[in-house]
Amino acid sequence: MTKIRRLLAQETWSPYLAGGLLGVVGLLAVGMSNSLLGASGAFENLAGILGKAIAPEAFDNLYFNYVMPAEITWSVVLLIGMFFGGMLGAATAGTLRWRTKPDEQWQSIFGPSTAKRWGLAFGGGIVLQYAAGIAGGCTSGLAISGGMLLAPAAFLFIAGMFASGIATALIVYRRSY
Amino acid sequence: MGNMLMALTLGVVFGFLLNKAGLTKYHKIVNVFRLTDLAVLKFMMSGLTVAMLGLYAMRSLGWVTFPAVPATYIVGNLVGGLLFGVGMALAGYCPGTCVAGAGEGKLDYLIPGLLGFLTGAVLFGLTYPSVFPAISRLAAYGNVTLGQLWNVNSWLLIGLFAGMSLFLFYLIDNGMIRRDRLAVGK
Repeated sequence: MTKIRRLLAQETWSPYLAGGLLGVVGLLAVGMSNSLLGASGAFENLAGILGKAIAPEAFDNLYFNYVMPAEITWSVVLLIGMFFGGMLGAATAGTLRWRTKPDEQWQSIFGPSTAKRWGLAFGGGIVLQYAAGIAGGCTSGLAISGGMLLAPAAFLFIAGMFASGIATALIVYRRSY
Repeated sequence: MGNMLMALTLGVVFGFLLNKAGLTKYHKIVNVFRLTDLAVLKFMMSGLTVAMLGLYAMRSLGWVTFPAVPATYIVGNLVGGLLFGVGMALAGYCPGTCVAGAGEGKLDYLIPGLLGFLTGAVLFGLTYPSVFPAISRLAAYGNVTLGQLWNVNSWLLIGLFAGMSLFLFYLIDNGMIRRDRLAVGK
């Protein structure tokens, strides 16, 4: 019991343990709900809900009606859970608090400017979401969920992601790479 | 209702694990691309190995039927992945880890991060008819698995993936794949 409590209070777990348990979560999603884990799809559902509330005509299209319906789907509820899961993880390790300062490594390369961080965080989010749309999913919905089904799409996506991720890091970090 | 409760529960565990694996940190994500900290790779490959083994075993036992297999259309999967890697290396998160990181109180994840994803989602949804159908028809194979596509036994592929993962973990943990620059400037 104390062992479990000590483990819960640890800030960082072995990636093998956390990853293995993620595999179990993926299995439970299929076994209990016949659903696949994912994150980017839920943002499409949410964007549709918000869009229909603000500009109903513009969002009254095939995509937001049928492809990624503007509804609270299973994936949206999963996404809400993930938010609280992150919170729970930080709370158990005592690291839960509002943080405005970017990651230290970020600061060492981009400087302390919060505006710069927020700009790249926003721009990066747009690129990530659009890319996930084209690819058919993100790291969870395509790489993990597709990979566990042995979908070729997942391995193509992972290969593309690592290739350009490494190239981008090389450019961003230059001499510090 | 029960299904939604399951989604919420699994979501909490998923977010919790992303946090505990350290994947909600900018440097963890970027350093896998700098090849100085391969935790993300270990996390993904061990998750995939467990899930593949379990899923195909559960199907063999008749416990589950597969949900729709994500569609393979080579150009789109690859181009999407290439674009995704750029965003991930710049922002230091992906959609799932951004949400979990937002829950930890990281304001750059919570505000510009989530707004960025919503904006990207709007852009994709509104440009969908002129972009997606065309790209998803290029080199398209439909909702196939590798086993079906190559006409090989899936267990062989799973064994291969598991073996490859274990071998890679062995190499990494014995210092045979290593770049020593950890934090920048150190």
